[in-house]
Formats: sequence, C-alpha cells, structure tokens
Amino acid sequence: MEYLITLAVLIALNVILAASYNLVIGYGGLSTVAHPIFFAIGAYTTGLLSIHVPELPALANVVLGMAAAVVASVLLAGSSLRVSGDYLLIASLGFQLGLLQLIRNLEFTGGPGGLSAIPGTIVGPMRGPLFLLICGGAALACVLIIRAIVKGPYGRAIGAMRDEELAFTALGRNAMSMKIVIFAIGCGMAGGAGGLYAYYFQYISPDQFEVLASAAVLTMVVLGGMGTPFGPVVGAALLLAIPQAITFLHLPQNIMAPMQGIIFTLLVLVFLFLRPAGILGGKGHPR
Amino acid sequence: MFEPIILAQILWTGIATSSPYVLLTVGFALTLKVTGLWNFAQSGQMAIAFYAMFFALNAMAWPLVAAIAFGIVLTAGSAILVEVYGLQVLRDRRSDSLMFFIFTLILAEFIIYVITLLFGTEPETLYRSILSPVDIIGGIAISEWDKLGVTLTAGALAGLYAFMRYTKEGQFLAAVADNAKLAELYGISAQRAYRVVAVISALFIVAAMYLIGSHGGIVPNTPLELVLSAVIGTLLGGIGRVFAAAWASVFLALIQSFSILFLGSRWQNLLLYGLLFATILVFPRGVRLQRLWGR
Amino acid sequence: MTEILRVEGLQKRFGGIVVSDNVHLSIASGEILGLIGPNGAGKTSLFNLISGVLRPDAGSIFLRGQKIDGAPLYKRARMGIARTWQNMLLFRSMSVLDNLMVGPREYVGESIVRLAFGRAGVRATEAAMQERAMGILARMGLEQTAGSLVVDLPYGQQKLIGLARTLMNDGDLLLLDEPMAGVEGAAYETMQRVVRQESEAGRAVCVVEHNVSFIRDLCSRAVFMAQGKILQDGTVEELISSSVLTELYFGV
Repeated sequence: MEYLITLAVLIALNVILAASYNLVIGYGGLSTVAHPIFFAIGAYTTGLLSIHVPELPALANVVLGMAAAVVASVLLAGSSLRVSGDYLLIASLGFQLGLLQLIRNLEFTGGPGGLSAIPGTIVGPMRGPLFLLICGGAALACVLIIRAIVKGPYGRAIGAMRDEELAFTALGRNAMSMKIVIFAIGCGMAGGAGGLYAYYFQYISPDQFEVLASAAVLTMVVLGGMGTPFGPVVGAALLLAIPQAITFLHLPQNIMAPMQGIIFTLLVLVFLFLRPAGILGGKGHPR
Repeated sequence: MFEPIILAQILWTGIATSSPYVLLTVGFALTLKVTGLWNFAQSGQMAIAFYAMFFALNAMAWPLVAAIAFGIVLTAGSAILVEVYGLQVLRDRRSDSLMFFIFTLILAEFIIYVITLLFGTEPETLYRSILSPVDIIGGIAISEWDKLGVTLTAGALAGLYAFMRYTKEGQFLAAVADNAKLAELYGISAQRAYRVVAVISALFIVAAMYLIGSHGGIVPNTPLELVLSAVIGTLLGGIGRVFAAAWASVFLALIQSFSILFLGSRWQNLLLYGLLFATILVFPRGVRLQRLWGR
Repeated sequence: MTEILRVEGLQKRFGGIVVSDNVHLSIASGEILGLIGPNGAGKTSLFNLISGVLRPDAGSIFLRGQKIDGAPLYKRARMGIARTWQNMLLFRSMSVLDNLMVGPREYVGESIVRLAFGRAGVRATEAAMQERAMGILARMGLEQTAGSLVVDLPYGQQKLIGLARTLMNDGDLLLLDEPMAGVEGAAYETMQRVVRQESEAGRAVCVVEHNVSFIRDLCSRAVFMAQGKILQDGTVEELISSSVLTELYFGV
C-alpha cells in the first residue's frame, strides 16, 4: 500500500512538472530544457527553510519555494530572451548545470550527498493518504489552471505569438513580457512541485535534477502530446508506470537502469519521427 | 609558489591539456556554423569513438592503427546516419529549433544508455597505464602525451584551415554556412556540405577521444560533460567563428589550470560555469540577431 | 489637413548597403501616399523604421507632432501605427475571426491578472471586439469566412484579412506593404474600396505598391525611392511623366 501511495504521489508531482513544462515549450514555444532545475530550486528552498526556520508554516515554505523559482526564471528569461529564442536554450542549460555544480560545492545544501533530515511535517498513519490528497489536488489544480490559461483570450494571444511573433508584436502585443510571464508561471509550478517533493520524501540530492531528469520530463511531454492539455498527464503516468512494470522482470540493477533509459529515449525518438503530435495530439505535427 | 618555472609549467600543462578540448570545440563550432545546429548528438559520437577504440584495443587486441580506423568508421558512419535519417528528415519537415535540439539531446542519451548497458559504468582507459614518459626540457616536464596532443591538434587545425581556404569543398562549406538557400541557387548542395561537416567533426572527435582516453578514465556519461565544454568554448569564441572558439577553449583550460594557484580544486568546475554565465550575460553576440534585422 | 506622420533625416545602413538615406517625409490625415520604386529601394525598410521593427542610425519620427524614437514596435502600434506585411504574416493556425481579435490596440487577453480577476469586464470587451471584427469583415463581404482557418482562404481573401486585422487597431496611420500583389478580381475591388474609405474616415495611408494603376486610382501624392533616397515627391502624374524615373523604374 505504502508503495502504491508513493508511486501515486510521484505521478502527481510529475504531472505538475510535465504539465508546466508543456505550458512553457508546447504552448509558449519557448526553447528550454532546464525545467528540473526549477523543481530543484523549489525543493531546496522549501527543504532548507523547513530545517532552518522551523517556525514558518509548511504552506509558506512551499509558496516561498515557488517564489524562488519564479524569481530565478524571470532573471534567466529576461536576460537571455532579449538576445534570441535559441539563446534561452543554451542559457537555461548552462544555468541548470552551473547551479547544480554550485549546490554540490556548498556546505549548507548538503553538497553532493544531498539534503537530508527535512522534517516530515505530517506524521502518523494517515501521512501517505494525506500527502496523496494534497499532491493530487495540486496536480489537478495545475492542469486546470493551465487549461484555463491556454483557452480564451490569453490562449489566442499565445497561439498568435507562436505563429507569427513579428506580426503579433506589430499589432501592439508585448511578446517579450508574455513569454516571461508564461515562463515564470511554468517554472513557479515546477518549484511548487519541488517543495511538495521535499516534504514527502524528506531527502533531495543534486543528481536528481541533471540532464537525465530534463530528458525524462521532455519524454513525458513529447509522448503525451506537446501542446495538448492532458497529454502531459498521460505521459507522466506512462513514464512512471513503465519502469514499475519492468521491475517485475527482476533484472539486476546494472541492467535495469540503462534499460529504462533506453526505453524512454527510444520512445521519444520513435514518437518524434512517427507520431510527432504525441498520443493525445491531433492531426499534423508541431514544428 | 609564483616562481617563473612553476608558472611556465602550469602554462605548458594547461596548453597541452586543452588540446582534446580544442578538437571537440572546433568540431562542435564548425557544425554549428555550417548547419546552424547545436548538435548535442556529438556527445553520443564521442562515446561511440571512445568505446569503439577501447573495444578494438582491449577486447579484440587489434593493433592501434586498426583500432583507430575502426573508431573512425563507426563514428563517421553514425554521424552520417544521424545527418541523413535524422536531421534531414526534420529539415524537410521544417521543424523548429526545439525539435532539432530534442532530437540531438535524446539521441545522445540513447547512445549513452546503450553503451552503459554494453560496457557498464566503471571508468575505462584505452591502455592499461595512463602514465606517459616525461622529458624535462628547460626545467619543464613535457610528457609524450603532451607532445602528441599539441602536434595532433595543431596539425588538425592547420589541415582544417587549409581545407576551408584552398579546396573547393571547403569554400562550399563557407558558402552554405553563410546562406544555405543562396548557396543552393549557385548549385552548391547544402546536404552534401552537411555530410562533409559530419565527417570532419567525426575525425576531430576520434582524435580528441583518443587523447582523452589515453590520459584518464572515461565513463559513458563523460561525453555529456565534454560537449558542454565545447558549448562554452563556442559561445566564448563567438558563434560562427570556429578558430576563435579554438582559442577560447585554450584560454578556458589555462584559466582552469592557473586557478589552482588561487582556488581549491572543487571550485574548478564552477569557474567554468561562472565563465559561461559571464559570457551569456556580457557578450551575448547574437545567435540570430542579424537574421532578425534582415527581415 | 492635419499632419499625422513626419519623418526627418532618417538614416539606416546594413553593412555597406544604405537602405535609408536622409529620408524626409510627411503624411497628412485623409491623404493616400504612394511609395514607389524598384526592388531594394528601401520602401519596406522605411515601413520597418516607421513602425519600429528597425532602429534608425540617425533621424527622427514624429506621430501627431510627438517624437516616438524611443518607443518599441508594440508601443508604436498602441499609439496608432498599423501596418500590413508583404507576405501577410497571418496567424496560420487560427480562424479568421481570431486573427482579427488579436488586433485591437488594447487587448484584454494580454494580462493574466486581468483575466483572473476581471472576468465580467473581459467578457464584455471581448463581445465588443467581436462585434467590431464582424463589422470589418462585413464591409469586405467576408463575414461568412469568420470561422474558417485563414490558410483555407484563397490568396486574395487572405490579403484582405491582413488588412482587416490591421484595421482592428483603429490607428491614425496605415502602412500597407504591397496590398495588391497577387490580388485580382473581386478582392481587388474590395481592397481599393476599403482603402479609400479608410482615408475618407481621416486616416493617413501610405502604400508601397508596384501596381501603377492602383497608385494612379487612389493616391493623391506619390514618392519615388531608389537606393534609400527619395528622388521625387509630387502627384502621381508628375512622377510618371518624369523621364528619369520612367527609365529607372517603369522601364519604358
């Protein structure tokens, strides 16, 4: 039971991560692969606050984690988008790897060994179900908020911006600020998911947020269908369920780990070429 | 600590150590210049190059020449495959830059996972011993590896320069890099240029991986870090300036080696990222700025 | 007639090519100014400089007497500079109506905060904008197409949609970049009629166009450009009768 709840919590948090990433790259058309670093910023901020400032309520810690992710994302997008869209890609990758390097080298973040002894906050036999309720609720809220954003007048503007940014701007729309806002919302959500993760698992390490994590969340989005509201949900669930299914084959760890990686990456490659719109995507394909 | 002889030693070692990085950076920057792609799939090719030579030398006990030839064939072959059956398909589909990026990154990871499955995650070297005989010249220790690295790199750069400057094929590359559509109007095939670049960068990658693999241990993940140093060198040198990128990576290596005098070793890598950030924020000499104005 | 746009000493070069060489220009309300000249004369570049896509190396631009040199592209649009594009740049994945709905000078959909906390207001503004968009489409006889994807329309109608989207701006200055290129038949008539109506409504219109008869029918005044310079400024008849220009451009 405990195992299933943990899996469900993990799926819920990854739904948030994938859905918010989908908002950024699928709808916003922003090129970035550094999404896990904003999850990390939220997780570390929340974890460190709960250890060092025990008087703050847990909710405030998660909100501050989100805020930290938002601030970092605005700084990153604000400085690099001014150069060009491609530049954000490289700048975000550099930001991700550089910040992880910094986390590994600092004392107070726990260094390469990771940050442990994060307070559990909720204790007792109902801990698992309660966390599942919170994370599941948060995931549902994120998916619905994103759907609300991409529908209606704002969604129309996002679509126009993706189609023809120059004409869009010449009609009086501030494309730059819209991009930064979309990026900030997506990264803030990832930060919130990170905060919840820190509370539930009570341990985080820098290795979890490497480029491999970027590839995983990218897989979820591409698999489910980029630019579809529920695609990332399907992608996240599938991606976490497949490894569990392989576990029953009882392969040794040194074969299991790369096998999982091979399956993920192969899935992305197959989908990229044969069904670029993803499982839930309609006809045509994203360019 | 600051005696001239020590400084001279650090200078030499820094230059020598930079040689494989220069090769990787030039291969990466040349690809970016001609194809307009940040081709992260090159890290997959780095892994293929090393493990092909490793397998040939150790498991098969082939002679060195055969092992290197094997490495070249596999690396260049995979680069061509990626070009023809991957990148060209995306180009024909008019995919945007994010799709190209996803493809090259995920492909690199796929290759690295397959190699992890085949070879495990233990650090491997091409030879049993990574010690290289050392001469003392003018009070400075110069190893055989240093000499090989510096001559190989200098030779490769000179060869590339001559190729770009004096051969028709090389001038075609420059034309395609400048404006692929215009070049096509003049009867220069962009596809052919892309394939030529794939082969050239494969050669550079094999040379670099030979140097790195005979100098220290490599795990399947190492190429992801290597490609990153190529990215930093490319950015620092200024996009589109291949030889400046080479100098930039020498400069990066020198900064890292001289920083030993001031910084603890665990801050070395961080310095690299600090430089990356300074580059991005202070000298962001536009990736696509000109093209935007051109509209 | 009040002056809407004044351009003073506009200078712009790319590498060795001068696209704008000391350009002075003035357009008044109700006037339709034709901008003619060979390809590469700097006509579109002048539009890009006025609308803010490009920054000039020197010179100034005044809108209704107010200097706007520092304003970026999107702010100039909000001041009432509305333009079309040679290759239209329509929002290809969207319907005709949605293309127009993004065009108003103030767009409610741009601010997440307003969307979250002012739902009733947003709905009212959207309804008003939709009515205006349908009105513009009706003037062009295109109200039937409102729900179709722009890419499914014939070329001439797409050109009209490009103009219609710009009209949502309700600006004082209309910059039209080759509105007639590739347009024939009914769409041609409609384009001509709508442009004339807009000028009669008091807008200043500037048209880049190769179609001489369109210029002759519509424009009260025309300017001839070559190599970034304005070579002549006068009535269309004067320009056409000038032997130098005839040789340079009309190739007769």
